[in-house]
Amino acid sequence: MKKGIGKYYNLGLSMLVGIGVFLFWYVGYPHALSYQEQYQLFLWTGDYFLERLNLPGGLADWLSEFIVQFYYVEWQGALLLTLLFVALQRLILWLLTHGGITQGTVPMCLSLVPVALILWLMGDINVLLSLPAAIVLALALACIRLSKRFSWIDVLILPVAYWLIGPAVWIYIVVRVLQLGWKHLWSAGWLVAVQLMAYAWLLPQWPLQQVMTGLNYYRIPLQYPQWSGYNKDMYELIRMDYLVRNECWDEIEKRAGEYQVKTAFWSNCVNLALAEKRLLADRMFDFYQSGEDALIMPRTRDLTSMLPSAEAFWRLGMVNSAQRYMFDTQESILNARKSGRCTKRIAECMIVNGHYQTAAKQLNLLKKSLFYRGWAVEAEALMKDEAKVNAHPVYGKLRQLRYKENFLYSYDEMDKMFGLLFLNNQENKMALDYFMAQMLLKGNLQGFQQYMGTVQRYGGYRQMPFGYQDVMRCIQMQGRVPDSPYAKYVQRMTRREAER
Amino acid sequence: MRKFIIFSLQFIVYSLLLVACSGGPKNPMKTEQLPVIYPDYIGVTIPADIAPLNFNFADEQIDGMDVVIKGSKGGELHAQGNYADFDIDDWHALTEQNQGGELTVTVCVEKDGQWEQYQNFTIFVSKDRLDDWGLTYRRIKPGYEVGGDIGIYQRDIHTFDEYAILTETVVPGRCFNCHTANRTNPNRITLQMRGEGGGTLIQKDGQQKWVETKTDITQAAGSYSYWHPDGDYVAMAVNSVHQSFYTGTGQRIEVYHRFSDVEVLDTRTNELILSPLLFTDDLEIFPAFSADGKSIYYSSSKPCRVPAEYEKVKCSLCRIAFDAKKGQFGETVDTLLNGPATDQSYVLARPSYDGRWLMYCVSSRGNFPVSQDDADLWLMDLKTGESRELSEVNSPKSDSFHNWSGNSRWFVFASKREDGMYTKLYFASIDDQGKVSKPFLLPQRNPRKYYLEMMDAYNCPDFTKTKVELDAHETYRQVFDNIREQVKIKE
Repeated sequence: MKKGIGKYYNLGLSMLVGIGVFLFWYVGYPHALSYQEQYQLFLWTGDYFLERLNLPGGLADWLSEFIVQFYYVEWQGALLLTLLFVALQRLILWLLTHGGITQGTVPMCLSLVPVALILWLMGDINVLLSLPAAIVLALALACIRLSKRFSWIDVLILPVAYWLIGPAVWIYIVVRVLQLGWKHLWSAGWLVAVQLMAYAWLLPQWPLQQVMTGLNYYRIPLQYPQWSGYNKDMYELIRMDYLVRNECWDEIEKRAGEYQVKTAFWSNCVNLALAEKRLLADRMFDFYQSGEDALIMPRTRDLTSMLPSAEAFWRLGMVNSAQRYMFDTQESILNARKSGRCTKRIAECMIVNGHYQTAAKQLNLLKKSLFYRGWAVEAEALMKDEAKVNAHPVYGKLRQLRYKENFLYSYDEMDKMFGLLFLNNQENKMALDYFMAQMLLKGNLQGFQQYMGTVQRYGGYRQMPFGYQDVMRCIQMQGRVPDSPYAKYVQRMTRREAER
Repeated sequence: MRKFIIFSLQFIVYSLLLVACSGGPKNPMKTEQLPVIYPDYIGVTIPADIAPLNFNFADEQIDGMDVVIKGSKGGELHAQGNYADFDIDDWHALTEQNQGGELTVTVCVEKDGQWEQYQNFTIFVSKDRLDDWGLTYRRIKPGYEVGGDIGIYQRDIHTFDEYAILTETVVPGRCFNCHTANRTNPNRITLQMRGEGGGTLIQKDGQQKWVETKTDITQAAGSYSYWHPDGDYVAMAVNSVHQSFYTGTGQRIEVYHRFSDVEVLDTRTNELILSPLLFTDDLEIFPAFSADGKSIYYSSSKPCRVPAEYEKVKCSLCRIAFDAKKGQFGETVDTLLNGPATDQSYVLARPSYDGRWLMYCVSSRGNFPVSQDDADLWLMDLKTGESRELSEVNSPKSDSFHNWSGNSRWFVFASKREDGMYTKLYFASIDDQGKVSKPFLLPQRNPRKYYLEMMDAYNCPDFTKTKVELDAHETYRQVFDNIREQVKIKE
């Protein structure tokens, strides 16, 4: 009777774990799922599978990337993660109760500890799902009962397990030693020998450090997970990028009013949302502005910083710059994975520019994925008909907005870049707003005044935007306007310059 | 009923066997057109023993393909399937047998159950061999300012096997390039790693050493290297390379250098040999020793305010004497081709190892031809000094990064002809009269699949006499332990 009740408790606990994990990801951190999904592109091909199996830990990598692709639809991703975490909890519980590690009744809550620890560890955005997947696989392997008489079989199991799971197989060794006694410690020596042999003969292009600790558990080579948890500011920025990706402009404006992260990345996201709602001229300085990089960030070699700028470039009609920022973002993924999001945008840029052969290459890749396939097939069909591309609501429009003159991009002259973009097509109101905004960010008030007439003529505003009214007041009063958002910005920038 | 099923199965099996044994399609419909195949191997000249020239039919909507190759000196090869996939050993035997002859290729294609036979085409097998083991090259995403997953690889050109020499995984976050062997002999290799913690690898007879070639006087580390034939000196350019990006839909990137000078490193003493003629306000770049090692070819342009004046960068092709015994430069510079006077830019001079030819790139501007859409290959006859455009191999897109085979009868180059972005490698032959053959794309097992799925661009290709041996683990150790030998300026 007690055993039966215990069984129900066990199941109930696992269900609670499942519900908790699902809600954690789906309700609490859907943006974290989107973030992880955008730095890989799982392909449904045999080559992709074999490429993963080509390295130690390959099965865990493949399995984790298989799961991560479903993050594209957040509830599906959260559900698969739930299954993984429940599997983790059940395996721990099973080992604690059946594996001979402990005697008597072990508190079930002990099985929650690894779940909580891994959940916390995954707060480090560079921890890849390969690590939890490898741990689950190692634990599952350890659940196979092995009598002392057949313990020698680990001579065969360990090399195979190391190749499939990676160094997480050390967990298996720990469990086995606990199960079979200290005499089984020879297996630890054997695993070290296996790793060293792999390093010497099979992995000439990998450092020893990574061969011993994992090739793809962590996105940054030669670095290790931090127990940083879910840093509020970091995850707010990730959420902003997620909202940009999904074009949730109202939500960005709302969140920006509630919490701000004083970085250029945050300013980029907010300004893009305001521009999309045609509120940039009105409300820009109601929010934190990081400086001259508040609209577009300079090139930065990392896998996140340039994304909102790339999105802004795309919507402005600066197609080449969008392609460049997306390309460099993708190449900044340090574990050399492709990005579905970046590849798709790169293909779109190529389509707008009429570079169909190179676009076909990107589409060929996307066609082998699950969630980008449909779009890629449609895009491939579209490319075959130039008239359809021209008539496409986005691509056709961008063809009208993009530069017609060929010249060299200059980040230092971004205001002029926006100005030329607007002159190129005076229907490009967003370019006009960015042009005026960039002059304000640079403190070029003379230029701002000079082009106010252009705003009145082409801006499409019924009255002068509040933000511009504020700036004009600042100019007239030489900055002595109490509670002026722009005056505050100028003062902050002046202080920053003085501190330098 | 059971008997009927068994009979039917037997009939199908026997029919399949009959077709398989028949050796080709029966009574195909003949057409006068040449087949459209990928890669375009029609009329190309190949060396015996090269990897099989497998090819696909350009139209993907086919049910099957049957290819028969007959040698003018005997031998026959047959392939049937979705694409022409030849057995490596059989291919080698056929090309060896037909060296100096030609191969006639008959292509039949099945569409909607009907076989169609196209007009035969010819592949010429040169009498000149290509006995180098393979190629070395860098593979890099054709991006902008982030190199990404860079790797230097080598490819056995007689098979389809590729091996990594050095990849990003072993030196994460480092950009490396300019791998150079000595006239295809990998017993001398140099390679540059740029940026923080960078350095120059000098590997002699398997021994690695990393040197810091930047000094107070030379401002930057050496790059764009070239070995002296004796294997003791390396000519290098010291420069600062930058990129700017176009807003138009044509050329994407303009590469330029803010400064550039040429120096020679004596690898025995770690001394830099400088000349006031090569350390000027002008930009001297892309040095290459002549075949006899007695002079250095390089390019030189007047300083401009780049990137604003990028269109004014016009390189002249120059030559300066070099005395290997004394380790000294000559005292005069010969201008072989004057860039500003002809409104062209002459870059990347590569003399053939037999001293007969000088191949170089010509473009309307700039000193980095792979980024110039109009870059073409030209050839100078070093006996007569006459130059001509290699129209046999050039394309409307960039053709550059050429290098000679060990016997100077073949050259490899990188071309963007297919899509303007993803550089691919092509081979062509040259005879003693300077006649150049139609180039052919580096063979792959399934070319369409390979090149469609290949997301890297090839650059800096070079032949290698034997397989390159580089201990990447040792490279990791020396790079990350920051083991560098500091070079000094020779008095």
